[in-house]
Amino acid sequence: MANVTFRNVRKSFGEFVALEELDLHINEGEFVALLGPSGCGKSTTLRMLAGLEFPTSGEIMIGDRVVNDLAPGKRDIAMVFQSYALYPHMSVGENIGYPLKKRGIKGRERDDAVQKAAELLQLDALLDRKPKQLSGGQQQRVALGRALVRDPQVFLLDEPLSNLDAKLRSYMRAELIELHRRLGKTMVYVTHDQLEAMTMASRIAVMHGGRVQQFDTPDAIYNRPANRFVAGFIGTPPMNQVEGTVEGGHFITGGHKVPIDRSAYADALRDGPVVLGVRPEAITIGKGEGLPATVRLAENTGHETIVTLELPDRTRISARVEAARRLDVGHSVALTFDPDAIHLFEASATGARLNLDAKSASVVSMRSK
Amino acid sequence: MTAIATNPPRDRRSPLERAYARLGVLLIAPTIIVFSLVIVYPLLAAIYLSVFSIYTPTLQGDFVGAANYIELLTGGAFWHSLGVTLIWTVGTLSLQIIAGIGLALLLHQNIWFRSLARSLVLFPYFLSTVVAVLVWRWLFNDLYGALNHGLIQLGILDMPLDWLGSMPNAMIGVILVGAWKYFPFVVIAVLARLQTIPENLYEAARIDGAGPVGRFFDITLPQLRSVLVVIILLRAIWDFKEFDLLYLLTGGGPVTSTQTLSLLVYQEAFGLNQMGQAAAYSVGMMLVMLAFMVLYIRRTGGK
Ligand SMILES: Nc1ncnc2c1ncn2[C@@H]1O[C@H](COP(=O)(O)OP(=O)(O)OP(=O)(O)O)[C@@H](O)[C@H]1O
Ligand SMILES: [Mg+2]
Repeated sequence: MANVTFRNVRKSFGEFVALEELDLHINEGEFVALLGPSGCGKSTTLRMLAGLEFPTSGEIMIGDRVVNDLAPGKRDIAMVFQSYALYPHMSVGENIGYPLKKRGIKGRERDDAVQKAAELLQLDALLDRKPKQLSGGQQQRVALGRALVRDPQVFLLDEPLSNLDAKLRSYMRAELIELHRRLGKTMVYVTHDQLEAMTMASRIAVMHGGRVQQFDTPDAIYNRPANRFVAGFIGTPPMNQVEGTVEGGHFITGGHKVPIDRSAYADALRDGPVVLGVRPEAITIGKGEGLPATVRLAENTGHETIVTLELPDRTRISARVEAARRLDVGHSVALTFDPDAIHLFEASATGARLNLDAKSASVVSMRSK
Repeated sequence: MTAIATNPPRDRRSPLERAYARLGVLLIAPTIIVFSLVIVYPLLAAIYLSVFSIYTPTLQGDFVGAANYIELLTGGAFWHSLGVTLIWTVGTLSLQIIAGIGLALLLHQNIWFRSLARSLVLFPYFLSTVVAVLVWRWLFNDLYGALNHGLIQLGILDMPLDWLGSMPNAMIGVILVGAWKYFPFVVIAVLARLQTIPENLYEAARIDGAGPVGRFFDITLPQLRSVLVVIILLRAIWDFKEFDLLYLLTGGGPVTSTQTLSLLVYQEAFGLNQMGQAAAYSVGMMLVMLAFMVLYIRRTGGK
């Protein structure tokens, strides 16, 4: 059993509160990504799980054990650091074998384990080199090898791909997914790259302001964001947010009516101010009927064009259209939103989703405590 | 083609490059001149003197060929002093290194008096040797010395000990004072290096299951290696040549028990007025040092 639980964990550095209240339950064998903007406490969370940082209050469990007072070496975890943290004076082989050496595994047994890990990561030709003589991608694999050589209960990875170029990164992403599939171990993966989180993780914990904003599958994070933060963080460009009011079951902004699918909200749809969210791909740009807007910018990326539009109240929104479409800057257009792809959020600071299901609701209700 | 062959520098280098080269020569010229005056001239003079038998007060004497060197090889004084020098150097250097690393590790911790302790630790190094030796001689004194007094009070000694006047106490004494005087140099150099060791190496080692001792031997020590190589080289040279501390503390005594090569050269030149013989000893001393340095750099410089 190697599930991981954070229960009411709070972490402050002196006066500064890095994590307000952290509750996470990660199942055995799961690949969980901690995703969030810089400084939101992802590394701190991981380091507390590793035992390198101590929670100010709360409980951390690995399997059935409370590990709060357990030294890092006794937690049966392996960690890959963002900066790799390879031992510079040791060869690749010695680096990979070090965790075994410190656990008293000697001779043939150790050599075989190192060899196996090296083969898995295609490092067998480099075993005698020093870390300095390796490329970034090779160093990264050595760091992984040092983690894989043992059979720990949980793997912790702190932005392990952030120092690699785009090509190597997508290659390593595939490698890690394959590795996780093969080993079936619990993995906690810190990243601020949503592409990594969306493609690799079975569940993503989106973090912000010292809290978990949403902890769900990539699909749910994308299609049912629990609040305005998640909506505005996920997607490139992220979900557009338009302020307005609900009147008699319609969304009104700047005097214009936007049709919405009322059946999705039941009694949650009360009159009053709300924020409408719509993804760039759910916007149709046309003439005549619709929300009036002005084209401000059209960026052709080759396979699509991202259009920046300005509403009469100066709100900027982006829309995704096919690359061939010509839109002149300064022209007036009319926007229609796909009613099935419209999300409504509270107009409050937290901006919770209006039609939250029970699971996501628990996260949000905790937030407002 | 012919123009390049006959006049290559003018064709290859731009005027600016040539101006830089002239500036470079100009800038290192003072160093080379001073270096020649203070190093090369005395060296050549010593080699020249060493083949004469010279009376120090008059600096007059006759050419004696290799006689001074034969005395060096067969006379015994040189070999005795070489032995003393090696014991002194190895003894005091080891203590300096061990105490220096130990204290640097301590000062690297987050202890509350750290910044005060960091400046205090430099005290012996800043103190003038004469003052330091006076204080130590007073501490070591067999009649009224604080050391004897303290040890007797504690019941470790029942008779006052003649610290600097008998062996092996005199050697132990000078080694201790030498270590006390020079270990701050090691502390500062090691401390500076400790602060640049990335913290995440220690974190990785902790996760990999290394305890404090393991982390010291697997990370700290290998990371200190390059700085220790330099410290040991510098301190070995300085300790090998050390003069004032030994001269003031024991003057080489009792008899010649702590007479290192530097003291032997001095004694020969100004005690016995044999400048030629002293020059031969100093050349011998230099050769020994050179041999050690070459060996040391061969062994450590490779990596
Ligand atoms: N040792 C420390 N002392 C004081 N504050 C700290 C310390 N470590 C982290 N913090 C603060 O805690 C917050 C969270 O830091 P953390 O390293 O977990 O961020 P992160 O989410 O990993 O960000 P990034 O994506 O930039 O790595 C930051 O605001 C940071 O300044
Ligand atoms: Mg981080």
